Amino acid sequence: MKKTATTGFSRRIFLGAAVTAAGLGLSGCAGGGSPAAGGNVELNFVYWGDSNRAKMTDAAIKVFEEKNPGITVKSEYQDSGPYADKLATRFAGGNPPDVLAMANRSLLEYAQRGTLADLKGLPELNLEKIPATVQSRGEVDGKLYGLATGVTTIGMVVNKTITDQAGVTIPDDKTWSWEDYAKFATEVTQKTGGKVYGAGYDVSTETGPILLARQRGEDFYTEDNKLGVSEDTIREWFQYSVDLRNAGGYPPAGFFEQIGGSPAQSYLAKGTVASQIIPINNFRGYNEAVQGDVVLLRMPGETTDKRRGYSADPTMLWSIAAKSKHPKEAAKLLDFLTNDADGAAETLTQRGVPINPDVAESITSKLSADDTTFVNMMAAIQEDDLPPAYVYPKGASVVADTLKQLATEVEFGRITPADAAKTFLEKSNAAINK
Amino acid sequence: MSVLTKQAPGAAASLAAGPPGRRKRGTARRRNQRSGYLFLLPWFLGMLFTIIPFFASLYLAFTDYNLFTEPNFVGLANFQAMTEDPRLWQSLKVTFIYTFVSVPISLAVALLIALVLNRGLQGLAIYRSVYYLPSLLGGSVAIVMLWRYIFGNEGIVNSFLGLFGIAGPAWVTDPDFSLSTLIVLNVWTFGSPMVIFLAGLRQVPTMYYEAASIDGASRWRQFRNITIPLISPIIFFNLIMQLIGSFQTFTQGYVMSGGTGGPADSTLFYNLYLYQKGFTEFEMGYASAMAWLLLMIIAIFTAINFIASKFWVFYDN
Repeated sequence: MKKTATTGFSRRIFLGAAVTAAGLGLSGCAGGGSPAAGGNVELNFVYWGDSNRAKMTDAAIKVFEEKNPGITVKSEYQDSGPYADKLATRFAGGNPPDVLAMANRSLLEYAQRGTLADLKGLPELNLEKIPATVQSRGEVDGKLYGLATGVTTIGMVVNKTITDQAGVTIPDDKTWSWEDYAKFATEVTQKTGGKVYGAGYDVSTETGPILLARQRGEDFYTEDNKLGVSEDTIREWFQYSVDLRNAGGYPPAGFFEQIGGSPAQSYLAKGTVASQIIPINNFRGYNEAVQGDVVLLRMPGETTDKRRGYSADPTMLWSIAAKSKHPKEAAKLLDFLTNDADGAAETLTQRGVPINPDVAESITSKLSADDTTFVNMMAAIQEDDLPPAYVYPKGASVVADTLKQLATEVEFGRITPADAAKTFLEKSNAAINK
Repeated sequence: MSVLTKQAPGAAASLAAGPPGRRKRGTARRRNQRSGYLFLLPWFLGMLFTIIPFFASLYLAFTDYNLFTEPNFVGLANFQAMTEDPRLWQSLKVTFIYTFVSVPISLAVALLIALVLNRGLQGLAIYRSVYYLPSLLGGSVAIVMLWRYIFGNEGIVNSFLGLFGIAGPAWVTDPDFSLSTLIVLNVWTFGSPMVIFLAGLRQVPTMYYEAASIDGASRWRQFRNITIPLISPIIFFNLIMQLIGSFQTFTQGYVMSGGTGGPADSTLFYNLYLYQKGFTEFEMGYASAMAWLLLMIIAIFTAINFIASKFWVFYDN
């Protein structure tokens, strides 16, 4: 890191400093600050999300700028799709942002190509309070490339207004099995006369099979950054959706036209499905978007299989570019985002439960009822003994795409779950071992 | 563009009409040349920005460039890997089906509408604009989004079919239908070939038709033996442009599938896959090699067309 900084102190920086100094001189506000600091540093900070997230983030940045005179933060946000594209282009063009949000599945794609800074090498970032289990999710070969923005996990949301009207009892989520969920979903479809499908979860997102694999005693991604899930588990994941569809609990092929998107665009909000799997930090968004009373449940199968499937996962990760011209200031910003209670008071649980326990504690009184529900569930889950979880390997984005593609093939009956599972393992292993 | 110039007898006539003096002629030609280059200027300026990436991509095609670290020369490895890449073959399949179905249909529709408009309708300018409009919009993100809704499960198309008791398929999400939805979208954007056809049709001297009707030729025979041969250079030009354009299709597939080429790779256009390789899998060397393969494919098809054109394109000079 030091080396980069030294060689990076080139004509460009010198000119930049000179121009900045000139600018300050012109505007007559050079002040009495120490000239050694080189005037104002501008950090580029990028993340994905919606305008609500941006509003909260902007408020936190303002606090940061007040606490750190001489550093201004220029932030940009986008939807996750275009964000990923733009990020790749900026890194490729040698003009990466200083501090950036990174998806779990992309972290090692970047880190193992030497584009991210080792956060442990930045003394401005205090990692004292951060649990090792959280740090390990951004770590490879002893180096820390990504730090969780917060933790979350997946859960089942059910529109209780619909199930009450249909007269269907929601099973106890502490002990329910996957069979219980299937039975429940099928009953909802039957009792609503087919107007509402009981289950509407997304088969093609990897968080589902990751949880199932853990319940069955496997690690989807292993400690040595390989694929650890068995063919049988993937087959089971697909087969379950096929069976549930045949039973009527899950909508017919082609029903879901838009996967992902905001809570307001969800099928749960449209009222055409009664339950869905979500990242539970979004619970509030769903409860606000849906007409009716939404309840947050644990995933099925947590106590009925080999072991617990749950883990506290990074909602996303913060990284610093290896080529950042201001690694010191970037680390200060990252430290603020992680350890500053005043900053967290603005962003709350927008990116998951803060990973510094003191910070998490400090915001509890400021949370809305729905966010409190989320935080409480997160805490309750972690009270139990959970098996360890690991960082996503390089190639994980290809794995995600492969799952999506095969899920569609299975949905339209073009391939059997068994064949899909076989293909999934072949393609995923090829991508990861490349 | 040279095809068009050949077709325009008006231009030739105006040149010939000038005084035969050598000097005058020379000035006129020079002036013509100057305006010619002036019109080409934007292209030359654009070229300045593309020439370097052009050769860079040629070099990168033979490397393992991953966007972040220095490229290493790997010889023909990328091209070899392509032959064993099932998704590459899938993307070629999608692109070829799309091209060979949608180009003939959209040319036929464009010619048909041009023929109708050429019959001297009142308010021709308005009709022309209205029919041209989709061409301007067809490649845009907004229209592809609109298309998603029109062909969506609760969209206009399935609602209409529902009136007749037909349960329409999931046009957008069913892999068996998703590509056809995009083909319809492409046919719908027949405006630019139509405008060019219309210009061509207006150049056909009416005296040929007058002479033919005196000889008792039917409408069809007039179309078959006068119109088609005389506008064949225009047909040829449109064919080439449409072929090149549809081989390079990207936006429609990207927006319709949210960038995945789904459902189940059924809209994985060649360029979309190239993009995925370059920017989501970071295999820029491979992606560059793919770009050059596409260039070769387009060059081959254009060459075939030029050779074949000798047998059916008629130049009236």
